[in-house]
Amino acid sequence: MIAAAAAALATFAVVLSVLAGSHGDPWWQYVLALSAVGASVGVGLLIAVRRPGHAIGWLLLANGAIMAGAGVAQGYAQYAIQERPGALPGAEWAVLWDQAAWPLLFGLLTAIALVFPDGNLSTPRLRRVAIGAVAAFALLLLLGFFDSEPFEAPYQNVERPLPSLPGWFAALWPVAFLGVLGSIVASAIAMRGRFRNATGVERLQLRWLTYTAFLVPLTLLICLAGAIATHSSDELDIFNALFFFMLGAIPASIGVAVLRYRLYEIDRLINRTLVYGVLTILLAAAYAITALVLGTALGSGSAWVTAGATLTVAVAFRPLRARVQDAVDRRFRRARFDALRRTGDFLEDLRAGRAAPELVEPLLRDVLSDPALELRFWLPESELYVDPRGRAVIDAPNDQRERTPVERAGVPLGVVLHSPVDPTQTRLLEEVVEAAGLALEIARLRVELRRQLDEVEASRARIVSAGYEERRRIERDLHDGAQQRLVSIGLALRHAQHELSPSANGTAATLDGALGEITLAIEELRELARGVRPSQLDDGLAPALRELAGRAPLAVEVSACTDRFPPHIEAAAYFIASEGLTNAVKHAAATKVTLSAKNEAGSLVVYVTDDGKGGAEPAHGSGLRGLADRVEAHGGSLLIKSARDTGTTLRAELPCAS
Amino acid sequence: MRVVIAEDQALLRQGLALLFEDGGHEVVASLGDAERLLPTIATHRPDLVVLDVRMPPTFTDEGTRVARAIKAEHPDLGVLILSQHIETSHAVELVSLGGFGYLLKDRVLEVGDFLDAAARVAHGGSALDPQVVARLVSSADGDTPLPELSGREREVLELMAEGLTNAGIARRLYLSERTVEAHVRHVLMKLELADGEDGHRRVLAVLAYLGAAQH
Repeated sequence: MIAAAAAALATFAVVLSVLAGSHGDPWWQYVLALSAVGASVGVGLLIAVRRPGHAIGWLLLANGAIMAGAGVAQGYAQYAIQERPGALPGAEWAVLWDQAAWPLLFGLLTAIALVFPDGNLSTPRLRRVAIGAVAAFALLLLLGFFDSEPFEAPYQNVERPLPSLPGWFAALWPVAFLGVLGSIVASAIAMRGRFRNATGVERLQLRWLTYTAFLVPLTLLICLAGAIATHSSDELDIFNALFFFMLGAIPASIGVAVLRYRLYEIDRLINRTLVYGVLTILLAAAYAITALVLGTALGSGSAWVTAGATLTVAVAFRPLRARVQDAVDRRFRRARFDALRRTGDFLEDLRAGRAAPELVEPLLRDVLSDPALELRFWLPESELYVDPRGRAVIDAPNDQRERTPVERAGVPLGVVLHSPVDPTQTRLLEEVVEAAGLALEIARLRVELRRQLDEVEASRARIVSAGYEERRRIERDLHDGAQQRLVSIGLALRHAQHELSPSANGTAATLDGALGEITLAIEELRELARGVRPSQLDDGLAPALRELAGRAPLAVEVSACTDRFPPHIEAAAYFIASEGLTNAVKHAAATKVTLSAKNEAGSLVVYVTDDGKGGAEPAHGSGLRGLADRVEAHGGSLLIKSARDTGTTLRAELPCAS
Repeated sequence: MRVVIAEDQALLRQGLALLFEDGGHEVVASLGDAERLLPTIATHRPDLVVLDVRMPPTFTDEGTRVARAIKAEHPDLGVLILSQHIETSHAVELVSLGGFGYLLKDRVLEVGDFLDAAARVAHGGSALDPQVVARLVSSADGDTPLPELSGREREVLELMAEGLTNAGIARRLYLSERTVEAHVRHVLMKLELADGEDGHRRVLAVLAYLGAAQH
């Protein structure tokens, strides 16, 4: 509806200006006038269709229509008055329009300068200028239309169709004229003020119109000066040229802002128009050629011809559109084209396994030229945002970056933190992020998985540590509780024995027997406690290992560093050494074993080396499997070298995250 | 013998006190922790301090730490440490100082041997738990086999390491002192240690031999 109205207005203006033709004026004036109308109407049409609520589009369309109307009026007046006098109706109205309506053109240009680029009067000062301008232009139009003076040459004999104002109104001419000039200058100055305050792309958008806005008062002054100097109503060619140049320059500079600096995001409209225009032509050509070829072969009128041509068009549509879109993008939207192509390449690499999905962050940073860009993935289960390495992040409250949410199939994946950008850049960002959606989704899943795995590992380590703590508690309880109590009871019995009369030999012997049992019980408790956890671990791994070695039924050499590690790590190392030693004794038929513990770059590394028959495999027997579990529970790694007849070397690395 | 006892478990503390008193000794003070031990010693001037390894506050090695402190201040005072479990390296190191004993707690039930050991320590000798000695001997056996020792000689060696004198060894093994002297001479010869020494210096030589073999 709006598009139709705008198109109708545009068509009307263009048709009028073509109809006006060249009546005695030089051809280049006609070309200039047509270009001015064309520019105004073209740019106005684009904006009006894309942004129907925006004033600039309609002001430009109106400007085009009035320019065209002025041209028609001028042509019709010449034709009707000079070539066929009295034969055509409304000739006097055409003359009146030609001579009195010119302030309308300046008025519209002033209005454009006042409201560009927002489409409204944004400050009180602008509103005051606008009110003054309306008053001044209205007065000038009033004086022009209801003037008492005869028309200027060559129409001095034509009767004015409207009544005249009283003569004293002529005194208002300078007032009106200065008012108009003042408002034009004021609008140009306001434009310049906006330009000075603008930054970035907006500044670029304003630049051209700011320059050309000063052409309006300049042209008005020069034309006036020219008219006074030459005392002629016949304007000189040079003034005409300047006038038409100004008329064309204003819409042209808006066009530059729109096309070059993507004002009003019209580039997408143009892009689509271009793509579908070219596509339509190509498809029509394909249809025609197919129809022609098939028609020649099968005879025209055959249903096969239509079917074949339609099929060709249908098959060609998708690939052709992609090609044309690509070509148009490459030509007109280089940044977007490059960004999307590199994103596509990255996805290819991702599918082929050449790139890790986490690299999507540096990719986005790169293609959007924003080093401050960062990704935050949303983890719905733990309800928090994490960075691509899985660390929970809380962004500083004074973070200046914008947050653009990322979704895929309606599921929130996270946000992109990026430097503030203008609306057109936002569109590019959204497109790139959408294109990279698969990589983002995979990266988010991997982060989630890694975090869950970390959580599981941490809980396993906690359970194992708790186990060691529990062993320690049991060992303490055995030593300090039961064992001591038995000693106390024994002492009490000894005291009772001492108090016995020397004659009670039988009772003394009974007590000796009981004390022997108590001693055995204490011995057994001590063995039990040692199995639960050797108390030498209190003094460090080295004494505990030496104690272990001392109890072994074969020669065991111990070389242990005296560095201290967290208790649960030392306990783990001890039990690993103990199990390794047990395996060497039980399965390897070894005659000598070496136990060593070293601090290798902050990790506690335990080696159990024997000279036995080798060939140990973790898959067989639960001993080595249990060892591996024990090591892995601490986030460590177990390495077993056990070639046949060369002995077995077991290396367990326990990292200490302290 | 004037004795000070430091043991955190009240029942055991009382039992120990009764044990010493039944043996005709005087318990001048008994404490529940190691912290007040040094002032108490300064006040009472005992001949022997008996103390537990694990005591408040951390229940790890308060006993050995305070034992070192006591030895530093009163080199001639006998210190006897009682432990719930065997710990070789600290034990050997402390006993080498002389006037030091290291015994498992349940040794107190063998009253006679225990009071002997206590008296030895109070008189500047030493007492090392038989289990610690057994550990030393067996690990010394591991790498470099001990010279050919007869069963009896081996027994004598172990009792020497425990800190017993020839008379003590004779009593323990129900042998005459003269026989024990002969065994001791053979053992020292086979270990290539200097003969004719008795008391603490002999213990040191034997422990040094066994300790050197252990590492």
